[in-house]
Amino acid sequence: MLNTLSSTTPTSPGLWALAWRRLRSDRLAMLALAVVALFLVTLLLSATGLVAKNWDAEIGVNYAPPTFVGAQSAEERGVQDMNTAEALPPENPRDPLAAVIRQLRAERAVVVGSGGAAIDDYGIVDPLAGEIAEIRSGQGKDHAAAAIERRATLPFGADKWGHDIILKTIKGSETSIVVGLSAALLATVLGTLFGAVAGYYGQWLDDFFNWFYSVFTSIPYLLLILAVAAVLQQKGVLTIVLILGLTGWTGVFRLIRAEYIKHKSREYVLAADAIGASDMRRMFIHIFPNVSHVALVQLSILSVGFIKSEVILSFLGFGVPVGVASWGSMLNEAQNELILGKWWQLAAASVAMAVLVTAFSLFTDALRDALDPKLR
Amino acid sequence: MEQDILLSVRDLRVSFRLDKLSKQAAFEAVKGISFDIPLNTTVALVGESGSGKSVTALAILGLLPEENATVLPGSRILYGGRNLLELSRAHLRDLRGKDISMIFQEPMTSLNPVFTVGYQIAEVLRLHLGLSPRQAQARVLELLNEVGIPDPLAKSLAYPFQLSGGQQQRVMIAMAIACNPKLLIADEPTTALDVTIQKQILELLAALQDRHHMSVLFITHDLAVVGEIADQVVVMRAGEIREKGSNDQVFNQPRDIYTRALLQCRPSPEHRPQRLPVIEDFMQAGTLPPEPAERSRGLSGSEPVILEVRNLGKSFFSREGFFGQREFKAAHGVSFRLRRGKTLGLVGESGSGKTTVGLTLMRLHEATTGAALFEGRDLFAMPKHEFKAYKRRIQIVFQNPYASLNPRFTVGQILCEPLLIHGIGGSEAERMRLAHELLERVGLDEASYHKYPHEFSGGQRQRIAIARCLTMKPDILICDESVSALDVSVQAQVLNLLQDLQDEFSLSYIFISHDLAVVKYMSDEVMVMNQGEVVECANSDEIYLRPRHPYTQRLLNAIPKAGERIRGQINAD
Amino acid sequence: MTAYILRRLWQMLPTLLGVVVLVFLLFNWVGGDPAYILAGKMSNPEQIANIRKQLGVDEPFWVQLWIFIKQIVSMDFGASWSTGETVSHVLATRLGPSLTVLVPLTILETLLSIGLALGVAYVRGSLTDRMVMIACTVGMSISILVYIIVFQYVLAYQWGLFPVQGWGDSFSENLFHYALLPILIALAVGIAPSLRLFRTFFLDEINQDYVRTARAKGLSEKRILWVHVLRNAAIPIVTHVMSNLPALLIGAFLIERFFSIPGIGREVILAVERSDFPVIKAITIYVAVATMFFNLLTDLMYKALDPRVQLK
Repeated sequence: MLNTLSSTTPTSPGLWALAWRRLRSDRLAMLALAVVALFLVTLLLSATGLVAKNWDAEIGVNYAPPTFVGAQSAEERGVQDMNTAEALPPENPRDPLAAVIRQLRAERAVVVGSGGAAIDDYGIVDPLAGEIAEIRSGQGKDHAAAAIERRATLPFGADKWGHDIILKTIKGSETSIVVGLSAALLATVLGTLFGAVAGYYGQWLDDFFNWFYSVFTSIPYLLLILAVAAVLQQKGVLTIVLILGLTGWTGVFRLIRAEYIKHKSREYVLAADAIGASDMRRMFIHIFPNVSHVALVQLSILSVGFIKSEVILSFLGFGVPVGVASWGSMLNEAQNELILGKWWQLAAASVAMAVLVTAFSLFTDALRDALDPKLR
Repeated sequence: MEQDILLSVRDLRVSFRLDKLSKQAAFEAVKGISFDIPLNTTVALVGESGSGKSVTALAILGLLPEENATVLPGSRILYGGRNLLELSRAHLRDLRGKDISMIFQEPMTSLNPVFTVGYQIAEVLRLHLGLSPRQAQARVLELLNEVGIPDPLAKSLAYPFQLSGGQQQRVMIAMAIACNPKLLIADEPTTALDVTIQKQILELLAALQDRHHMSVLFITHDLAVVGEIADQVVVMRAGEIREKGSNDQVFNQPRDIYTRALLQCRPSPEHRPQRLPVIEDFMQAGTLPPEPAERSRGLSGSEPVILEVRNLGKSFFSREGFFGQREFKAAHGVSFRLRRGKTLGLVGESGSGKTTVGLTLMRLHEATTGAALFEGRDLFAMPKHEFKAYKRRIQIVFQNPYASLNPRFTVGQILCEPLLIHGIGGSEAERMRLAHELLERVGLDEASYHKYPHEFSGGQRQRIAIARCLTMKPDILICDESVSALDVSVQAQVLNLLQDLQDEFSLSYIFISHDLAVVKYMSDEVMVMNQGEVVECANSDEIYLRPRHPYTQRLLNAIPKAGERIRGQINAD
Repeated sequence: MTAYILRRLWQMLPTLLGVVVLVFLLFNWVGGDPAYILAGKMSNPEQIANIRKQLGVDEPFWVQLWIFIKQIVSMDFGASWSTGETVSHVLATRLGPSLTVLVPLTILETLLSIGLALGVAYVRGSLTDRMVMIACTVGMSISILVYIIVFQYVLAYQWGLFPVQGWGDSFSENLFHYALLPILIALAVGIAPSLRLFRTFFLDEINQDYVRTARAKGLSEKRILWVHVLRNAAIPIVTHVMSNLPALLIGAFLIERFFSIPGIGREVILAVERSDFPVIKAITIYVAVATMFFNLLTDLMYKALDPRVQLK
């Protein structure tokens, strides 16, 4: 009974403009949007090589602590370096030996595997440690000579090779965000298309897509991702986008299908039918703009989810290849560093991710509220 | 005559914030109103949407939504020497359901879907009267019996969805009178119900009021209903009281110009003026316009037939068991002739199949059986692509003006789309000119062209929907409950527009409505439907004066007639 | 009822067939020739041909599919490629540890989330409500990896409150010793999203007309929340919790991996790392079957909770 009062403004804002107006008056949402935008700008700068281009330059000493912590004595570092070598042999992707070591390790794994012995507690004991140390000691001198004047501290510290953490985090954001956004886009487009067709046409098309949906949802999402990751031998950004995108469309499908079912019997669509509008016209010109806000919100939710998934996959080594910086691989390194008391890489990657995801989620919530048809 | 006052409202002001996020100023829904509810009296609060009547009712029990409604300081609601607005929550809860109880418009959603009816009634008894479960159970059965529910024991164990709409409202009433309240607030209790059920509920309320010596605050938009049940009437508009007085005085000697206008602009079964008076006319002139001449309706039999429907049937199938399916006949055996320039009224209660007939004629549903002959061709039998050419000849205006226009299109796009699809008007400019002409014809200004539907009121949106149909210059216009969602004053304007258009373009109308008075006003011939079948079809004056079928008689009998009070009894039907 | 269950079981068949074909295509077509993976680098063409024959991948696709279906029905997937343990034994022994963590976790998480969400719904719109919601958002934004790494390091490694990792043989030792920290971490991660979700369920109900009726009856706000709202919100809550159970079995894989709990989730990770296809295939198929049965069970629960639902 409280009809909205028709405004007497001379310009006529459409529903998108009204939603934007509502969003703009929400300060928290605007702050969140600014943070997300900041991350995106940084990403663009790093992608075009303006920032963090030389992230993999070893400009600090190994494990250089953040400036505010203060430098560590050389022995302290030395001792801990030895510890590291024992606990987990460092595999520097830029290391000229990395490829050799990896190959060795892969072959050894198969040998051990087919030999019937159980590999357990993976990663704790490395049968190759001795061999690697041997090879390395031969090359060690060149390596040390190449490093010129490394700094004892860096503003946010350095990793075990002396890479600047802040640059590494920026470079890592590139992978995580690009993967998150493109996979979310792929999943949303697929889900929307399938949902529109199934919901609008109903009957056998609906049955078919529902069957497809129930097949995909019968396998828990994570298991499906891991299974796909297991069979795809090629690692890379494109692979992981495809894995996440091709398995993630189901939620969007369910919502969009429900919206199309609801809208196709709405009076404005019946009216469009009555004036002779074709199916395609009704589906995409009439209904789609009225359900697109659902897709938009889903896109936003999925982006957040996929950024988190990418981190986990890369952490496990199923994501981007070794040598590409990503928050997931940073966390993987940080896991072992923490035991040595080197917490800065962990802090940098977690805080960067938490800030981005928090801002993105808060913005998503505000977006959902602003686009909520119940509120207009 | 001085009566003892049960409750008085003094200077009540309530403001609402429409949107939490935008900085839109709060608007005042109730602007300082005062009225009294005497003991043992039915007071009706009448008004159109946005008048603030429901807000007033909710304010009495402190049920306004806290997020966006504020009762402004200085407002008082006095009951038993106390100001209800200043009571603590605990004290207010003691009153609710015990001294003052309330029933709502939608009985279906107002009952908790997952508890049995008996449990929900017993809850009040146990809370306020401290009855034991056993005592409460016995009292529940008495109450269900009192509100006229057959087989109380079985029904007390039923869930709300297992009862019909009328029975659900009876349960709500049983719950409300369980503790013998002094005041019952009924907020549009019959609006969601069919007219025959409405009559029964009104009779029940009148009888209970009498028997329990309680007062009733009856909130409604329908003046005719008020006439049947109220002792005193309060007329509200835009948050203000326009008039208050006794039933007799308000209906027979209305003092306020708005009240008079309201009484006049609703079509009544007795009169059929050339044009319905419109509230704006009254308000501007300040006096009653002269009584317009009567219009005569009916068929002479010589008019050319434009559409002949034979044995139309539409069934829906639902899956049942392993392989079987159940057929539900929404409409069957429907035959009629529509004549050029005339109106066929299609009247029936919910579930009668009247809307199905309309949608099937447009092939928005495919017919199960039957034929529709238009210019010698069967519309149902022709292939879809051929039917497209005929589509523009038959158009439809839907019920809900808020749902029938695409919210993402501007009015210009809405009007130009059919022109584009059917290749009417050679150029963009030509189509724009046509659209502007039509806008003017349906009474909207030029600026509307670039606006979006959400900027218009319900009545204006219905005008846009009519204009959209007219772009295709149809021969037949189906009006499916097209004015049912509108306020009486707006309804009159749209009905007048439809009349004018029929005169101008000699359109044939199929006018579908549950409202018998409106159908009588608009139609030359009336067809009554019940449970998918046509029970009676005759000239409109004829059918109202001499209904033959018992169902038609019952339907006509149930139309509320202002000024005829119900002296109802339980089980009056 | 029986007819309904029978019909639902019948309807599962096409879905199950779809899952089987999907998994089959994934492992026999998308992933390339499994023989190369099994044989590894140190192999010559004869060895590969030999393995191809053993695996049956030299047969036409439909024969392979048939072999696969026979494996599923007979529950005999052969031996793991890397450990030689039979797949059925792997599944049987890994389920117990997973459940030891998951059952208490699900119960605790659900009850705690309901309680907290009701509390927040009670003070909806207040500053507390907003703060809790923002705290939840921040909490959800931190990667589960960070929770595990930090909690394990601080609580177990540094402070020694819990064992760092491990798993024993006795059930009570496992539950009260080894599973405590994993459950605690999973709770910390899981409560925020559940709390948020349940809160929206409650708020949806609070805005319904029947709540207004309950207020008009004079019921206290507490009774309205705990009786009327909770009873209605229980429907989506139970559906949500039930339908998430199978996914949880896999979802706890990170926890199981970090704490060396020999459960299903960890088995999946190990199998993926070793390209141990028989184990992944078996787990995928059987978890999918379990999911379908859980969906049926969820619908039956739904019917029990909501009198309006008619099972046809």
